[in-house]
Amino acid sequence: MASKNGIDRQDEDEVCPVCKSSRYLNPNMRFLINPECYHKMCESCVDRIFSSGPASCPVAGCRKTLRKNRFRQQTFEDIGVEREVDIRRRVMHILNRREEEFDSKRAYDDFLEQREEIIANLVCRTDVAKTEAQLQAYAQENMQSIKANQLLEEQEATSFQKKILMEQEEARLRQQMAREEYENERREQQATREDFLTRLASGSSVDAAALAREGNKVHLKKSSARRSEEERIRQKQAALRGSEGKRTGTPLTTADTAGAVAGAGFIKGLRKIKTPEPEKPYDPFMGLVPGKRDYYTQLESYPYAFLDKLRADTTVQAGGYALQEYYSRTLLEAFAGLGCFVQEEVAERDATSALGLSKPASTEGAAMAAVGEKAA
Amino acid sequence: MKFFIDDLPVLFPYPRVYPEQYAYMCDLKKTLDAGGHCVLEMPSGTGKTISLLSLIVAYQQHYPEHRKLIYCSRTMSEIEKALAELKGLMKYRSKELGHDEEFRALGLTSRKNLCLHPSVKREKSGTVVDARCRSLTAGFVKEKKERGEDVDLCIYHENLDLLEPHNLVPPGVFTLDGLTRYGEEHKQCPYFSARRMMPWCNIIIYSYHYLLDPKIAERVSRELSKDCIVVFDEAHNIDNVCIESLSIDLSEDSLRKATRGATNLERKIEEMKSTDAEKLQNEYSKLVEGLQQAEQAREEDQFIANPVLPDDLLKEAVPGNIRRAEHFISFLKRFIEYLKTRMKVTHTISETPPSFLTHLKDLTYIERKPLRFCAERLTSLVRTLELVNIEDYQPLQEVATFATLVATYDKGFVLILEPFESEAATVPNPVLHFTCLDAAIAIKPVLDRFSSVIITSGTLSPLEMYPKMLGFTTVMQESYSMTLARRSFLPMIVTRGSDQAQVSSSFGIRNDPGVVRNYGTLVTEFARITPDGVVVFFPSYLYMESIISMWQGMGILDQIWNYKLILVETPDAQESSLALETYRTACCNGRGAILFCVARGKVSEGIDFDHHYGRAVLCIGVPFQYTESRILKARLEFLRENYRIRENDFLSFDAMRHAAQCLGRVLRGKDDYGVMVLADRRFERKRPQLPKWINQAMLDSETNLSTDMAVANAKNFLRTMAQPFKSKDQEGISTWSLADIERHEAKRKAEEARMMHGEVDPAQRANQIPSTLAIIEDEYDDDDIDADMLMLDAQ
Repeated sequence: MASKNGIDRQDEDEVCPVCKSSRYLNPNMRFLINPECYHKMCESCVDRIFSSGPASCPVAGCRKTLRKNRFRQQTFEDIGVEREVDIRRRVMHILNRREEEFDSKRAYDDFLEQREEIIANLVCRTDVAKTEAQLQAYAQENMQSIKANQLLEEQEATSFQKKILMEQEEARLRQQMAREEYENERREQQATREDFLTRLASGSSVDAAALAREGNKVHLKKSSARRSEEERIRQKQAALRGSEGKRTGTPLTTADTAGAVAGAGFIKGLRKIKTPEPEKPYDPFMGLVPGKRDYYTQLESYPYAFLDKLRADTTVQAGGYALQEYYSRTLLEAFAGLGCFVQEEVAERDATSALGLSKPASTEGAAMAAVGEKAA
Repeated sequence: MKFFIDDLPVLFPYPRVYPEQYAYMCDLKKTLDAGGHCVLEMPSGTGKTISLLSLIVAYQQHYPEHRKLIYCSRTMSEIEKALAELKGLMKYRSKELGHDEEFRALGLTSRKNLCLHPSVKREKSGTVVDARCRSLTAGFVKEKKERGEDVDLCIYHENLDLLEPHNLVPPGVFTLDGLTRYGEEHKQCPYFSARRMMPWCNIIIYSYHYLLDPKIAERVSRELSKDCIVVFDEAHNIDNVCIESLSIDLSEDSLRKATRGATNLERKIEEMKSTDAEKLQNEYSKLVEGLQQAEQAREEDQFIANPVLPDDLLKEAVPGNIRRAEHFISFLKRFIEYLKTRMKVTHTISETPPSFLTHLKDLTYIERKPLRFCAERLTSLVRTLELVNIEDYQPLQEVATFATLVATYDKGFVLILEPFESEAATVPNPVLHFTCLDAAIAIKPVLDRFSSVIITSGTLSPLEMYPKMLGFTTVMQESYSMTLARRSFLPMIVTRGSDQAQVSSSFGIRNDPGVVRNYGTLVTEFARITPDGVVVFFPSYLYMESIISMWQGMGILDQIWNYKLILVETPDAQESSLALETYRTACCNGRGAILFCVARGKVSEGIDFDHHYGRAVLCIGVPFQYTESRILKARLEFLRENYRIRENDFLSFDAMRHAAQCLGRVLRGKDDYGVMVLADRRFERKRPQLPKWINQAMLDSETNLSTDMAVANAKNFLRTMAQPFKSKDQEGISTWSLADIERHEAKRKAEEARMMHGEVDPAQRANQIPSTLAIIEDEYDDDDIDADMLMLDAQ
């Protein structure tokens, strides 16, 4: 926003360090820099020297090879800051961990400081090679998480932009509303006044007093009615605003940081990422299948003479008697109790209470088992 | 005299009390008992200060809590006046009670006004005095001295250490002058005596800023206990004071200075690294732990909250990227460079803090979090580096405060960048206004902390505006009228000139020759008929200049010249004070003088034109603010969106409080008299917005006058006033003796009792009902009279 038009005002006597032409002679002079060496020169110098391909920097003592397409205008007045911001941009793109990825606030702070340290190293040109190597290694290892976080950042930026735009629009609307409201009120006031005057003019002088009183009351009533109406509209608006806020206010999902563990050697205090188990389909009976039995499967029909007779008899079945029901009930009764192991329970009971009258429950169980076998 | 309010014995240092003073004290006591905030409007010149002080002193001495009083006023002269009144009161009390009470009251003002150091006190600028004083008195300077280094110390300050820390000055009331004299005699620093004695004082009197400006409040007022009674006197401008205390203006020059400051700090850090690296390391490890110490202190509820250092910030540690000193400096530099690039724009920009922050982040990768800690981090660094010449870092401090505020508050602030000083200017002089729009932010800590905050002034109408704007609820909200034995002031609204054409200072017709001529005749006529001093208020300097030059062309000034000496207020303070001096001399001699001044200027606030210094005040035009200002526009919009105060309502409220303030200048007591003229057709409809005491004294027949009628009225009035008037006539009506109070109390009690029993006799009921109705349906009044008039016509 700010520095789009860089030629607003610099000192009159600013001189290009390469061709020595000053702004006094050429008021439209623009200065460009190249992020290779950050030497400043005027636009015409750039055209002159670099149009025919890469060349070395014309500033004495600087032998960097520069290309024309990398030249750009300088954003900040201070070249040092300009360079720092460039470096920072690069580093921030790579080391873009977010606070929610860390175990604690302290770990995040340590990370921030570490990042600052790296930037400072690059800016001051101390240990450049080592730092660069570290950065490269980190970037390669954490390609995925870097991408994810970048995406997330972009999303945040756009949603913020949207929110701002919406707010501005709302404010504009509200302002308009207020203006209209004011206008309406004024117009109405004027109308009642005029009406009042005409009635006074046309009516006889005797009822003037009554008229005056009435006019006042009407006016008051109107204003109070209008007020309540306004209140209603306002409330509606507020409700609307609230719902919209909720809609836009849905939190952004945090990035799934696959491969975050890989960067753990370089950045400390990262939260360990657990990949959640894939969720199974929901089972309403908690593993219980309705028709399934543990010890038997029910057949369609059982050969039994007594029942065959019944099956053939329509008069029996017309009343709703189903043989299947009979089978299932009988089978259930027959197999009931098979899961109980009486001996074990008895032993247990004996162990807890030394004296105990043991009931001959085992026989019952055995009898049932016999029935079941027969039925199967 | 001594009287009782409920069970509280009040000693009042005068033999008579005004009825409104008595009512004021009763309401004040109710508020203090209830423990809440209140807004009280009391006519100017009816002894507001003394009634306030005598009630609160009585309250302090009678009840065992001994609640401390913090009395805030606006200017130094008002502080001095209040202290003098308090001194008189205490003298009277000890005479009445027969013994001296254990009582301490001190006033606090800037170092510049109190300094005794022979070379420092000769400095002219306040900031230089502060800085030099600090360099002589700071803690580490003393440490250095003890280590045997050769540094200068202030002997006056050193002497304080020899005294008992809680008994630096003896009990009693010290005016500012008295304190300096005492300091001179005992060779001790009055400024530090006052500051260190604050916890042991019963009454502290100082300027608003010591409580509202977060930078100063942090240092001076944060140890005040919770049950203090806080009084803001002359508080009609309190919202503006609140806003100013949180607003910051940055210019290119201040940014350049800030950069220089940052570079200096960098050098200092390098130096310290080579000599005393341990200290930096200590600071670093402390910051890793966080600002917990400060938090502890606040948790124990010792300190008043600070809007620049919000509570949640204390619970966190300083972000990692500004923990190290060198990182912080590079951070600051980046921020300043960013601001510089913003300054290069050639069109006006107004934006909200969030959008500023996003752009900042896009360009420089500065995030919100570290920005919030900026001010605190800088303070810590400065402390660690033990810098002596702090005034060099003032711009840097400002930038840091700006950073903290912009990152802390999403709402209630706006950034406005104005590249040119005025619309016509071609040479850019960009200023970045960071403007606070919400007066409630600055005053919130005060309202939250202290149980009783009393806002009082002569012109607070409409009363409900203040609680609305400052975001608090009141337990008492009252406006008092003035009881007068004779009509001693004559408020009038002039809507038409002598040729029956309407007069107004509205933009469309303000330079119309007819209007200017009508205003001219009005002023000339009043200059002719009024004895001694006449004060004329204009809405702005610009308008005043243009109208005076037009009068010159019309020969009106020559006519005025025949009757009065003409003096004009200018924006320059010294010139104005000279003009004022001459005006007073001229009023005391011969035919008197006429003073042209501006309704928002220095004269309109705090300078009294009592008795013959002002017999007539003319308010030419409605003193509206300059509505094209972006800052004002932003504020209006904020008020509408957040407090449901309409633009026009606020503008007219603001204009009327200034007009009322101007009118109040001439009436400074009950034996004083004066004519008040509001000359604009728009005043007629704004009449209900005047303070109650002015509004009540204005007859309906005097709200729509032409110049001739106004002059005739004024002539009549002045002739009546010239009749001898004995103070005896006032007794029982506008001044009460003890017997009158007792009678009043008895009557009130009887009435109350009757009300309780439900035996309201018909006559009384008839009396009471209309009075309540009149308040609710004020609008009816005029029309009833109109209706009566019509009836008369019909018969």
